[in-house]
Amino acid sequence: MTAILKVNNLSCRFGSLLALNDVSFSVDSGELVGVIGPNGAGKSTLYNLIAGALSPTAGEIVFDGRSVTHLKSHQIARIGIARTFQIPKPYRQLSVVENVMLTAFQREKSVGRARALAVAILSEVGLTDYVDAPVATLTIGLLKRLEVARALAMRPKLVLFDEIMAGLTPTEVATMTKFVGDLPARGITVIWVEHVLYAIMKTASRIMVLNRGEIIANGVPAAIARDPAVVKAYLGEEMNLA
Amino acid sequence: MPGPHPYQLVSARSPLVWPRRGGSLSIFEIGIFVACVAIAMIGFSQNLQDIVVLTFLWAGLALAWNIAGGYAGLISFGHAAFFGIGAYTSTILFLRLGLSPWIGVWCGGLLSAGFGAGLAIICARLRGPFFILSTLAAAEVARIGALNWASLTGGPEGLSIPPVAGIANMVFASKTPYVFLMLAFLAAVYAVTKGLEASRYGYYLYSVRDDVDAASAAGVNPLAVRTAAMALSAGLTGIGGSLFAQYFLYLDPTFLISPDLSFQFALLAAVGGLGTAIGPVLGSFLITPMSELLRSYLGSQAAGLHLVIYSALLIVVMLYFPSGIVGALGRISGRGRNL
Repeated sequence: MTAILKVNNLSCRFGSLLALNDVSFSVDSGELVGVIGPNGAGKSTLYNLIAGALSPTAGEIVFDGRSVTHLKSHQIARIGIARTFQIPKPYRQLSVVENVMLTAFQREKSVGRARALAVAILSEVGLTDYVDAPVATLTIGLLKRLEVARALAMRPKLVLFDEIMAGLTPTEVATMTKFVGDLPARGITVIWVEHVLYAIMKTASRIMVLNRGEIIANGVPAAIARDPAVVKAYLGEEMNLA
Repeated sequence: MPGPHPYQLVSARSPLVWPRRGGSLSIFEIGIFVACVAIAMIGFSQNLQDIVVLTFLWAGLALAWNIAGGYAGLISFGHAAFFGIGAYTSTILFLRLGLSPWIGVWCGGLLSAGFGAGLAIICARLRGPFFILSTLAAAEVARIGALNWASLTGGPEGLSIPPVAGIANMVFASKTPYVFLMLAFLAAVYAVTKGLEASRYGYYLYSVRDDVDAASAAGVNPLAVRTAAMALSAGLTGIGGSLFAQYFLYLDPTFLISPDLSFQFALLAAVGGLGTAIGPVLGSFLITPMSELLRSYLGSQAAGLHLVIYSALLIVVMLYFPSGIVGALGRISGRGRNL
């Protein structure tokens, strides 16, 4: 497998706060990598750096063999990195399908074909009944699905999911977990920040643990669940993955 | 739960259905257009024709403002500057070089579009109230410039276009050609707006208005979209300014580039319905005749009373019809915004 994303010695400082400290890792094409860690560990900062919403203080990000460290958000999106937002950011005055069309325009320039693509993606995440609904009528669980649909509508090579399970019912978590788990087989590499651990531990091929801006563990879920440093910093007790 | 629809549990249909946008005209819109043509063809008195000219022109200008303010969320209180730049450009080109206003109008539009793009590049990164204040300030700079660059603009005395009627001069003895000129302007700006709504560029405008972070994550370049929206809006406003100069035949900098005029564009659009094509048209059709009639009936007996009534009505509209005439009509007819 070839590395689709390489992060080399990435640091990000906000004033006196070192949000990320010399973080390095790489993600292979077709992987599903989970990222966990306590609040304030630097997960969102890491996402904002990869997605171009922030510029790093030091370090380099390489995507598909080229340095993308200082590209802006829209340029990052155009080269095939999609993201969701932890707090959904829908276009409030547009309908559900129009929300998805805006990302679909990256693949389909005509309004009609972008709409068809958006409708297809919406049916994949189970929002078929809400295609023409104003986005204001959606509950938080549906808004999370809309975030996922918007990210996938641009047919990305790499997608960054940010806590897409928060606020979902157990049934919704189960179906969404399966849906995300199937993405690598469709050629979409996934990095996934999540607090709903049983979902991510079962699905991810590898887990990275962030704490205080540093990667304290990086390995298969079974090893992570027993790692003493992870248990101390985040899990509280050993996880039984059976 | 395998299968193509993994979320079968959610089957309840959402209660509200948002209508599709599109480039096609509704019966309501066609009806309004036919009524406009009919009104233009009726031989009203000079005073009434004056109101018709202004109603059409302000409707077109409110629509032009709406492209930036309503669709792209770039609320501008400085559009009078673009109006003034358009008016001065065509007039100066005519007075100095003898260039026909039929060409000068386009020059005015292009120059205004350039200034609009420049303003967006510098100021569109400011959020909310700070952008609004920057537009207000930019228009003041333009007004003071027009007042002081006397060798070009005539300074406080302004400029006069000789009232020599002729098609090449775009000056007419009767008001009827002006009525049709302004109607053509209104129809053209309306067509641009409808075309925008039906294209992906229209959606780009909505996206930077509603959530700029989500828009950039979707691959939309916010600065480029805002610059284009402002340039288009300013350019159309400049064309309107040139047409106004040809109608009024006198350029007074304190009126042309006044905050009052900027507010008027914004208010007509807001009263009608921001971010809708028909809204600013309805706004002008309601407000312009009312304010002109109030002025002529009350102006002589109680100076200023027409402004009090006008302002009170605006407050009532904004309190009880926050989404404008279009929102109110939509609720009554049950058709949402799809009038």
